[in-house]
Amino acid sequence: MIRQFTFNEVLLLLGALKWTLALSAIAFAGGAGMGLTIALARTAASRALRLLAAGYIQVFQGTPLLMQLFLVFFGATVIGLDVDPWTAASLGLTLNAGAFLGEIWRGCIQAVPKGQWEAAEALGLRYFGRMRWVILPQAMKIAIPPTVGYLVQLIKSTSLAAIIGFAELTRTGQLVNNATFRPFLVFSLVALLYFAMCWPLSLLSARLERRAAAPTR
Amino acid sequence: MHSAFSRRSLVAGGLFAAACLLATALPAVAQTVDAIKAKGKVTIGMLVDFPPFGITDTQGKPDGYDADVAKLLAKELGVPVEIVPVTGPNRIPYLQTNKVDLLVASLGITVERAKQVQFSDPYAAIQVGVLALGTSPIKAPADLSGKRVGIVRASTQDMAVTAAAPKDANLMRFDDDASAVQALLSGQVDAIGISNVVAQQIRAMAPQAGYEMKFVLSRQVQGIAMRQGQDELLTWVNGFVAKIRADGRLNTIHRKWLGSDLPDLSKP
Repeated sequence: MIRQFTFNEVLLLLGALKWTLALSAIAFAGGAGMGLTIALARTAASRALRLLAAGYIQVFQGTPLLMQLFLVFFGATVIGLDVDPWTAASLGLTLNAGAFLGEIWRGCIQAVPKGQWEAAEALGLRYFGRMRWVILPQAMKIAIPPTVGYLVQLIKSTSLAAIIGFAELTRTGQLVNNATFRPFLVFSLVALLYFAMCWPLSLLSARLERRAAAPTR
Repeated sequence: MHSAFSRRSLVAGGLFAAACLLATALPAVAQTVDAIKAKGKVTIGMLVDFPPFGITDTQGKPDGYDADVAKLLAKELGVPVEIVPVTGPNRIPYLQTNKVDLLVASLGITVERAKQVQFSDPYAAIQVGVLALGTSPIKAPADLSGKRVGIVRASTQDMAVTAAAPKDANLMRFDDDASAVQALLSGQVDAIGISNVVAQQIRAMAPQAGYEMKFVLSRQVQGIAMRQGQDELLTWVNGFVAKIRADGRLNTIHRKWLGSDLPDLSKP
């Protein structure tokens, strides 16, 4: 029952593309929120907060994303919740992104010179004021390349959501291949679509870096 | 690329084992036929990357021999059907965690699987063998010595070929049938372990190449799977399979998708 590869198959792939984009967007937004919290916790004065955040990061960086998605989806049933693949994939990727972004941003916060911290304190700024006006803006400048690099990686790792039955771009490519038996065509198209998603991000990163560096040129 | 697949599937295999452990911690939800009817729909899991039993149609919806059997089952039950696409590694976890009521997912009836799920009477049968070029000198399992053989990971072809092939045969495992077929067509493997139905499609795709089944390794019957301890449901499903075999509807579906009459469905 092999059918011909027609424009209809391209439409199927484009439909799956929007799911990949949606999943990446949600995971990045949620992960950014969590990541900022984790990064601030890692650089907090309280030792308990620092250890808690470090533990969270170690767990999610040290285990495969595939396993995390699997456990969120099938493990939720054990504690009595019934999650659908979309929710489980979003949650799993958010938790994972939170850990990686938290660690990246912690490094960027700590890369801001100590003199800035001291000057901010000397100006009478409290913790949130220090962070908001002095430290984080400088940390963000340093954070642009690794963050965008992680975002590109996140888009590609959404393909792992196929293990819990979420039909995103890579999985749909496999299904179309099984229906048409044209692997070179199908997977070249899938690779092209991933590139079309990731390359603009790299361009955006370069543009943001140029803008951030403008005052110092 | 080959080693990345194998690592990913080793993790998936480990997860499958973990999920089985998790599943034993779950209270088994014993479903009766009335419970399914009261729920208002029956969720059935099937593969969508195993042509012609499970494929996706032009809209990306599940289609194939298993889909037609599933729709017929729902019609007999008198409820609408929700077909859930599952994959080889996650189909049994989906069943064990109550995400689907039944599996019409080309599950070959094996002793190991019968320990985890209950099988109905067979509703399909395939032969597993080794396919190669007509000009290839392979005639028996011993001839696979030193050859590269492609198989689909964790399928019954995998089990059959691994058991029969000599130690120095180079077994290469792929994610799905399409990948294994592609490897054969592009000459990356000398032979593939494959079912007779997919072999038919390969011959239709490339008639001039002259592929032929060199030898048959085993015959496998496929059953509808459900959770353990559901005797009432099992009796109903067996009755359904017997009914559609007797009145010819199953044969019609078989001719539509496989182009031939129902083969011998007795358990080997």
